[in-house]
Amino acid sequence: MKTMLTTFLVLILSSLLSLTPGYASNSHPLTGEKLAENQVFYYRIGAESPSIDPQLVEDVEGSAISRDLFEGLLTQNADGTLAPGVAERWEGNAKKDSYTFYLRKNARWSNGDPVTSHDFVYAWRRAVDPVVSSPYASFMELTSIKNVSDILKGKKPTSELGIEAVDDYTLKVSLSGSLSYFPSMMVHTTTFPTHQKTIEKHGNSWTKPGNMVSNGAYKLTEHVLNERLVRERNPMYWNNDKTIIDKTVGLIITDENQAYNRYQASELYKTEVPTGQFKRLKKLLPVETHSNPRLCSYYYIFNMEDETLKNLNLRKALTLAINRNIVTDKIMGAGQIPAYSFTPGSTANFIVPDTEYGKMTQKERNKLAMSLLAKEGYSRSNPLEITLLYNTSEGHKKVAIAVRQMWKQVGIKATLENQEWKTFLSTRDAGNFQIARSGWCGDYNEASTFLDLLRSDSDQNDSNYNNPVVDDLIVSARTMDDPNPNYKKVEELIAKDFPISPIYHYTGVLMLKPYVKGWPHQNVEANWYSKDLYITAH
Amino acid sequence: MLNFILRRLAIAIPTILVIILFSFLLMHSAPGGPFTAERKLPPEVLANIEKKYGLDKPLYQQIGVYVKNVVTDFDFGPSFKYKNLTVNEIIASGFPVTIVYGLWAFLFATLIGVSLGVFAALKHNTWLDYLATSTAIIGSVLPNFVMAPLLVLLFTVYLNWLPGGGWQGGQWQFIIMPVIALATSYLASIARITRSSMLEVLNSNFIRTAKSKGLPTQYIILHHALKPAMLPVLTSLGLSFVGMVTGSVIIDQYFSTGGIGQHFVNAALNRDYSVIMGVTILVGTLTIVFNLLVEILYAWIDPRIRY
Repeated sequence: MKTMLTTFLVLILSSLLSLTPGYASNSHPLTGEKLAENQVFYYRIGAESPSIDPQLVEDVEGSAISRDLFEGLLTQNADGTLAPGVAERWEGNAKKDSYTFYLRKNARWSNGDPVTSHDFVYAWRRAVDPVVSSPYASFMELTSIKNVSDILKGKKPTSELGIEAVDDYTLKVSLSGSLSYFPSMMVHTTTFPTHQKTIEKHGNSWTKPGNMVSNGAYKLTEHVLNERLVRERNPMYWNNDKTIIDKTVGLIITDENQAYNRYQASELYKTEVPTGQFKRLKKLLPVETHSNPRLCSYYYIFNMEDETLKNLNLRKALTLAINRNIVTDKIMGAGQIPAYSFTPGSTANFIVPDTEYGKMTQKERNKLAMSLLAKEGYSRSNPLEITLLYNTSEGHKKVAIAVRQMWKQVGIKATLENQEWKTFLSTRDAGNFQIARSGWCGDYNEASTFLDLLRSDSDQNDSNYNNPVVDDLIVSARTMDDPNPNYKKVEELIAKDFPISPIYHYTGVLMLKPYVKGWPHQNVEANWYSKDLYITAH
Repeated sequence: MLNFILRRLAIAIPTILVIILFSFLLMHSAPGGPFTAERKLPPEVLANIEKKYGLDKPLYQQIGVYVKNVVTDFDFGPSFKYKNLTVNEIIASGFPVTIVYGLWAFLFATLIGVSLGVFAALKHNTWLDYLATSTAIIGSVLPNFVMAPLLVLLFTVYLNWLPGGGWQGGQWQFIIMPVIALATSYLASIARITRSSMLEVLNSNFIRTAKSKGLPTQYIILHHALKPAMLPVLTSLGLSFVGMVTGSVIIDQYFSTGGIGQHFVNAALNRDYSVIMGVTILVGTLTIVFNLLVEILYAWIDPRIRY
């Protein structure tokens, strides 16, 4: 009798417990894996962010934090495909120059206020407000939203921005031209909503824990400069029931080897693979060491206004003579991909074109390089003298030294020069270089985020490349339903004109404890969300 | 004595002003600025940002506004890099941390260093002397950026006794390793200076007189030898303390303490002008104050010294 009663009570209690949203000692609702008691995720932050204000955030770490604290119109699935965020559904008109977003009615700020379309209007106007001076204001220009350029130039007030709150839950965006991939840009932090009353009340201090009001799956509970940043479950989040991780603790550790030490001691569950350690760690801890394709390119820029580099044959020779496989396998050694195109192959819908030099063997490339150099009067006994500039870093130095050796084989004598980061940027910007190292990560998952850099009037066009056909193809691609044929043509022209020498496409390398699940390894933008992770019992 | 102190403090003010002037000119002469970035800002946005931070004004006006704000409001300005923080907040969050482990490191280095040095001098040329001296030298040979990872490997990874970093408000587990890493190199120089200074004093006439009077060794050391032996040590202690605060760059990077040390380097690399100025003034003031303290201590130790 007694045992029956006890059993009965236990059954009632456990079924009651399983109804509560706490996931401790439960199983994952979809996969059935046993979950850990403590759903706290510890990870390494490489450096303190300049700001986590969505309209001001500019760095990778800060963006990850912003994505946990705030949510935009749309969000991403683990593989990077678009998913509803604050907007339940959206539609574009036939011309794709106007989009309407229908917001869900149960989205809330952490203080209980409903999230409305007015919050987005406020935020987007903030992003282009000259007073706020967002470093990512140019991103809003990329969205083609109406009047953005005039507003940034100070010619029009922010109220003229092409965004309108039709009603509390309907948002209408008007573009100055068609843009088929506009929705994919809505996952970017600059477009996240912000809480007007909070910002007006606290001013610059609104991002402090206790002051901040946010609409994401988490709220900011602790932030000690250069030490740690902690975010905890936001019960007001509309999808809070699906969130498993209760708390995410970011520990700011600048030194990657130190971070790895603490990872070994299990103080962190995620960190970067220290430079040069990938092969060793892949052997030692194969399940924990990851290399995922990234939407980033590593390349050398040729200054086409330089006397020597005006010459196409020389630019081509310099590009051909680099043995990219050696760079990716022997020097980088973390699964990087040799690049013969500017845009990485992992970019959505992008098809890597077959380039003439991409198909050759290195022997053939070197032979062609030498014959091109010979045409211009250079050879091993009379080498072409050139300088290569890179920003101070052990990794870039190794690549540069290797490339210098490769160039030596064909009759090019390179002098290496390195400068501290900001000095390097100034030098490159001023055009005081012949060849300069460069790297670029896409702002959104579409080829134009790379190719746009080579438009003749782009601020980022450090090579001073000026090909009107390329400009035309890039501009007209914006309004095409399927812009990929244009992108293919642009890449083919790049592979003919050689304004740059692509070297490799990045991989994101990370160490991740085997009991952390749900990591978006396929997301090439490396956008991760704490709400999609969970920790299994270990 | 009081006159001396007042004179020193009076000179301190123009000294700081000169420091401000030189730092200002030096940091503006470096290429690049706080808003130089890979993702270039459109010229209009850059112009707005520069206006917001007063960078569009001529240099002499910028210095003028800066000094006025510091003197009247104690306002060191907004950080150019950390958009939601002021320099005052950055210093308020980092300085207490550095002071705590800096003071502990100083105490640790001084006590152990002086004891080792005295011990080595007393047991001069015995194996104990060699042991003490070599321990001290090993400590000086290992720079703190070697000590730090070694300590973490030992105490965190292998033994799991201490957390690998963090500060959490300054609980004791987080202070130990930064203190050891920071103190060991200073410990060595303090020990060596103490030892040689002590040896010199022990060989002097007045000590010989004390010994011939039949006084016990312990009494001689404590009452007659220690004070004069401390004079050279004091000089190095004064420098050591400021060094420990400024040299905490590595400690802050390795142990993620959130201290002020890392700002010295980062602010320069970021071209965060206001933070550079803020920490420079801080360190300059500390140096002046500590030099003054050392000189006052000199007067206390050696009655022959009078200002």
